[in-house]
Amino acid sequence: MALVAGVAVSSLAVTALPATAATDPGVTSSEIVLGMQLPQSGPASPGYNKVDDAARAYFDYVNSKGGIYGRKVRLEVRDDQYKAGLTVSSASSLINKDKVFAFIGSIGTQTHISVISDINRRGIPDLFVNSGYSGFYTNPKTYPTTFAGLGTYVVESKIVGKYIKDTYPTKKVGILYQTDDFGRNALQGFTTAGLSFEAKKTAVNFIAGTQGSIGLASQLTALKANGVEIVIIAAVASATAIAVATAAQLGYKPDKWVVTSVGADATTFQTILGSKGVTPAVSAGMLAGIISASHAPSPGDTTDEYVAAFKKINDDFNKGPDKRWDNNVLQGMNIAYMATEALFGTGSNLTRKGIISYIENNGSKMSSAALSPLGYSRTSHEAFTAFWIGAYDGATVLKPITGTRVLYTTDSGTGPVTVSNYMRPALPADAIAKGA
Amino acid sequence: MSRTRSYGRKNLIISILFAVLIFILSIKLDPYNLGQLAVALMLFIGVLSIVLLTGASGQISLGQGALMAVGGFAAALAILNLGLSIWVAIILAVIAALLAGLLLGIAAARLSGPYLAGTTLVIALAIPSLATRFESVFGGDVGLNINFGNPPAWLSSLMGSVGYEQWQLLATLPFAVLALLFTSNILNSRTGRSWRALRDNEIASSLNGIDISQTKIFVFVISSGFAGLAGVLYGLRGIVGPSVYPISLSLMLLTGAVLGGIRSILGALIGSILVVFLPDVIDSIMKHFSPSEQVANYLPAMISSLLLILTVVLNPGGIAHGLHRTRRHL
Repeated sequence: MALVAGVAVSSLAVTALPATAATDPGVTSSEIVLGMQLPQSGPASPGYNKVDDAARAYFDYVNSKGGIYGRKVRLEVRDDQYKAGLTVSSASSLINKDKVFAFIGSIGTQTHISVISDINRRGIPDLFVNSGYSGFYTNPKTYPTTFAGLGTYVVESKIVGKYIKDTYPTKKVGILYQTDDFGRNALQGFTTAGLSFEAKKTAVNFIAGTQGSIGLASQLTALKANGVEIVIIAAVASATAIAVATAAQLGYKPDKWVVTSVGADATTFQTILGSKGVTPAVSAGMLAGIISASHAPSPGDTTDEYVAAFKKINDDFNKGPDKRWDNNVLQGMNIAYMATEALFGTGSNLTRKGIISYIENNGSKMSSAALSPLGYSRTSHEAFTAFWIGAYDGATVLKPITGTRVLYTTDSGTGPVTVSNYMRPALPADAIAKGA
Repeated sequence: MSRTRSYGRKNLIISILFAVLIFILSIKLDPYNLGQLAVALMLFIGVLSIVLLTGASGQISLGQGALMAVGGFAAALAILNLGLSIWVAIILAVIAALLAGLLLGIAAARLSGPYLAGTTLVIALAIPSLATRFESVFGGDVGLNINFGNPPAWLSSLMGSVGYEQWQLLATLPFAVLALLFTSNILNSRTGRSWRALRDNEIASSLNGIDISQTKIFVFVISSGFAGLAGVLYGLRGIVGPSVYPISLSLMLLTGAVLGGIRSILGALIGSILVVFLPDVIDSIMKHFSPSEQVANYLPAMISSLLLILTVVLNPGGIAHGLHRTRRHL
């Protein structure tokens, strides 16, 4: 009977926990609750753990200007350590405990896969996911509430792959990628662009999250042994820093490093190497010459009106432990900027169906800091469909590789890579877009 | 014989009351706490596997999470490749875990103490990583997506609208009740007594005719079946993969068992509820203090660790033992 008594006591304890209203989740007359999942700790967290603070800073700025139709935006964040198992629990917490109206900017392909079906089944808007995995977005019938916050890895890899193929036709190209849909999606893009790789010789991989413990030495040794002259990295930012540092230790000096945009943040690169005793000057030297691509302006380009405005908001409102201005902060701000625009555009009668419909019908006209057009429509939930290619200079700024910034665009299928003439909308005077 | 029957009747009544109480909670709680309670019941089955193995027979295992993974992956493969229903897959998962337990038990029968702990720890690390080694089968580090699906129409027509978390809890409940009934019956049986004899003194129990190796293997098999059952239910929340069954899951089960009372079924229940709901309680308290995200993220684990140390030092029998002692004093 002690067991029954125990259950009864436990029942009382559990029922004493607060119950919450089941209707109109996340929206009241005074507040909109949004949720984000990301690695705030663990090996994949460096750099990405700044995105939530940046987004919150922008929402705090919007709140200081009166909010959205009088509603203040509150961002609830859960750390999933880039582990899918934890993502399941933290999504449940955001949905059922915090009663979020929508998810925004959640980070990670392999983590988001574990919850995307559940989020969609419940009809919760899953806005501007920080994953470029094309499988999330190219068929909205599969995931009708999910919208991208990055260009797809296929689009980016096709554009960069074509550049490598055209520029270095005789060089031996290899790839280091993480073994999840992010890495595989990027690999797909590069091969679609005409590059070919040989497994375990010019194409090596690692389990995401293990880069810190394994050091990637065996992978880089394989590339070195097979005479790879151009190394592509399709992995998270912490892996890029470890790979470049390990290659230096191994005496491996490929002609070029090419890094996908999500793995090429300069601040993260230098921070991780700094923790290993590499001075900023040396790490800047290691970064110099690395080729990458971006849909956004370089965070170091302070002449860009979006960069200047977001940087000031970051200075004034970011309360995070590391508010240093970089790609991650810019991306976090831009996600929040786009979410604010969609929330305004949906109108004061805010509903989940309403915001999804708004983005599908008006998303391609929405503004953002990105230099790329947005691909949102009823038939595609892809975000940025164009990238420009650059190389890091000695001051850790990504500069257009040919001196002039040229935008290239393509699709997530097998379509050709072409030049884009897109011109983004001007930034509103108060840096808050009110809807297309 | 009549005493055994009396125990059996008492255990059945307790199990029915347990089911009724959880069913009432399934109607009363909000979706978040329904989901949490469902997880607590899944872990309860997992902690019971430790109660049987460590509490009753004295064999240490740090690898119950790996056996949960065996159950989870077996079910996922059955559902995704063979198109079986989750209910058939659950049965197959338990059989797979029983077989894994047999293999593990054969090795474990020759080991004891730190050697056994070390071996099971290695297994806890190794089995989930097999998923990344054989990526095309097990889905790599991402894993395989499975879930409880939508509540059946008959249940919705019977109870009205059944939420997803409510369905998770109700689907888990029969298995938890069966696990409870089985555990309480076996611990009160001749078999259970032979396990305890083994735990208390191997030589003495051997002299009394208990086959040490066979008994150890048998306990491992039964315990693994429980872990496999817990594992498949845990995976049915959305995904089966290495990150769902990390080494920390094995340690969490052990923490729950020690905090609640490693030799007690009540302790297993208290421990499971504690490890699931403690972070929520800490979170709700810490919200008043606005700690930094680093502190907030690590505080539940720190407090659990502190409680574990205090339990081992001050009250090794766990909360259930403390309750029992208090009742005797009263």
